Amino acid sequence: MNNEKIKPSTVINISITMLILILALFPYYYMIMQSFVPWDMVDKTVIPREISFKSYEYLLNRGGASNPFMWIRALINSFLVAAPTALLSVVVGLMTGYSSSKMKFKGSNIIYGSLIFQMFFPVIILLVPRYMIVRPLANQYAGMILPLSISIWAIFMYINYFKTVPDAIFEAAKIDGASHMKIITKIALPSTKSISIIVFLSVFMTRWNELMWDMLIAPDVNMQTLNVMISTQFNQNSNLPGPMYAASVLLTVPIIVLFLCFSKYFKEGINFMLK
Amino acid sequence: MSNKGDIKLEKISRKRKKIQGEAAWILNVPYILYSIIFLVLPLGWAGWLAVTDWNLMSPKYNIVGFSNYIKLFTDEKVQAAFWNSYRYLVPIVVLCVIFGIGIALLTSKLPSKLKGTVAVMFFIPYLTSGVATSVMIKYVFSYNSALNIFLRNQFDIDINWMQSKAAFWVLVGMIVWKMSGYYALFVLSAIESISADVYEAAAIDNCTGINKFFMITLPMITPTMTSVIVLAAGLSFQIFAEPFLLTGGGPSLDTTTWQLEIYNSSFVRFQAGYGAAMAIINAIQIFVTIKIITVIMNKFNKKFGW
Repeated sequence: MNNEKIKPSTVINISITMLILILALFPYYYMIMQSFVPWDMVDKTVIPREISFKSYEYLLNRGGASNPFMWIRALINSFLVAAPTALLSVVVGLMTGYSSSKMKFKGSNIIYGSLIFQMFFPVIILLVPRYMIVRPLANQYAGMILPLSISIWAIFMYINYFKTVPDAIFEAAKIDGASHMKIITKIALPSTKSISIIVFLSVFMTRWNELMWDMLIAPDVNMQTLNVMISTQFNQNSNLPGPMYAASVLLTVPIIVLFLCFSKYFKEGINFMLK
Repeated sequence: MSNKGDIKLEKISRKRKKIQGEAAWILNVPYILYSIIFLVLPLGWAGWLAVTDWNLMSPKYNIVGFSNYIKLFTDEKVQAAFWNSYRYLVPIVVLCVIFGIGIALLTSKLPSKLKGTVAVMFFIPYLTSGVATSVMIKYVFSYNSALNIFLRNQFDIDINWMQSKAAFWVLVGMIVWKMSGYYALFVLSAIESISADVYEAAAIDNCTGINKFFMITLPMITPTMTSVIVLAAGLSFQIFAEPFLLTGGGPSLDTTTWQLEIYNSSFVRFQAGYGAAMAIINAIQIFVTIKIITVIMNKFNKKFGW
């Protein structure tokens, strides 16, 4: 099967795939391009003749009257909310995932039952009461981070992963007298590198793209995430398409770059996602 | 003597078990706290809210019994949200499955050097915020956009996209575009795990092309397809950003969703009690629908020997 010649069927297959891929990714080209054209050309052209940074300058200098840097602030807010949420999901996922799959203890079936229940539970029921509980923390990072800080999906990723790791590894460490804390930090955590990266990135992305909760709990212009700011400004200034395209680029490109940097870990992780 | 030793050993092992139990519970403290504060407490509260007429702000409220639920059945917004769930579900599931399988099949036949990169590239739309796509769609379909000017000048077609029947299909298209590449990854991973022996046996029996797909590949990936279908169905109940930003649920409730109506009644019209009742009915619908889909898919799985 070591034929150096490329078969014609392969060429056809590659061309069809590439064509679909180009169509699928065309919206990104369009979005990025519209953010760099002069304002009178926005949505009027697909191949730009001139490049302008006016849309980005607008985001940098001309926010609200009271808060000139509101767009930059929103971008930073998005990071300050998404990163701790993702970190907490990893830590709690590791703790609960490890104890549910590798430790035998009284009541473990209660924890597991509760996890299964939450996995299939429609969160929308909890919206109003959660809002009531967290309202004292409105317009604070804690109020944005805590209610979405634990990902049941993340816990199951770790449970599925630890199921594939033989007990013997952990038993051996236990016989050598290692404490549970030591086993988790020195053995379990390093072995979950790719799972932890996937969990971190996925939760980061989900949190970054969250709209409804942030809209409710952090309406203050200084606390809005970029996602919320685009949706509020978009309704008020829909006559400024250039800056809106530029803000959308700032919203999507960091996530894509982050995922592409770590994409090699996804092949391994995909096997744990659907179990 | 040995008896004494046994007792001692047993004591030690019992003590060990106890320590392990304590350690396990300590590890679960964050999860348990989270569940109490953000699940158990709000769940009880939601059940309570649903029988009141509370308006989200005032300290006063009345217990109205089941009248919220009774009102739900005659509310045209709720009816629209209920039926729209299925109007969204069917095309989203069907199109996601078709595109997911299509992309996965094409990618699986690529040379191995390209395969991984291409699969990741198809996955990119999944990362995009619904807000960013909504911004783009709104401008592309606005009256003075190049697309609409072109359609008016060349074909004399003048569509007010977001106020027409087309709006629903634009939203479906946005969601299918976003999700297909993500589901394709799962399908691809299932196709890759089919052993080469199966295909060799099929080749001996002269089973190729479309036959091979329907007789071999599809039956081999039904468990994965079950997950994909359930995920896509669940997703159709969670549409919010797109109708919120693009159509507001219109025209005439054509694109409205549960999430949008629950948000609007609770936080725009300040009928928190009514919104809570709405959310409970929505949850029951999701639960029943997903249950039916799993039962049907499990029949398929059994048929193919899974």
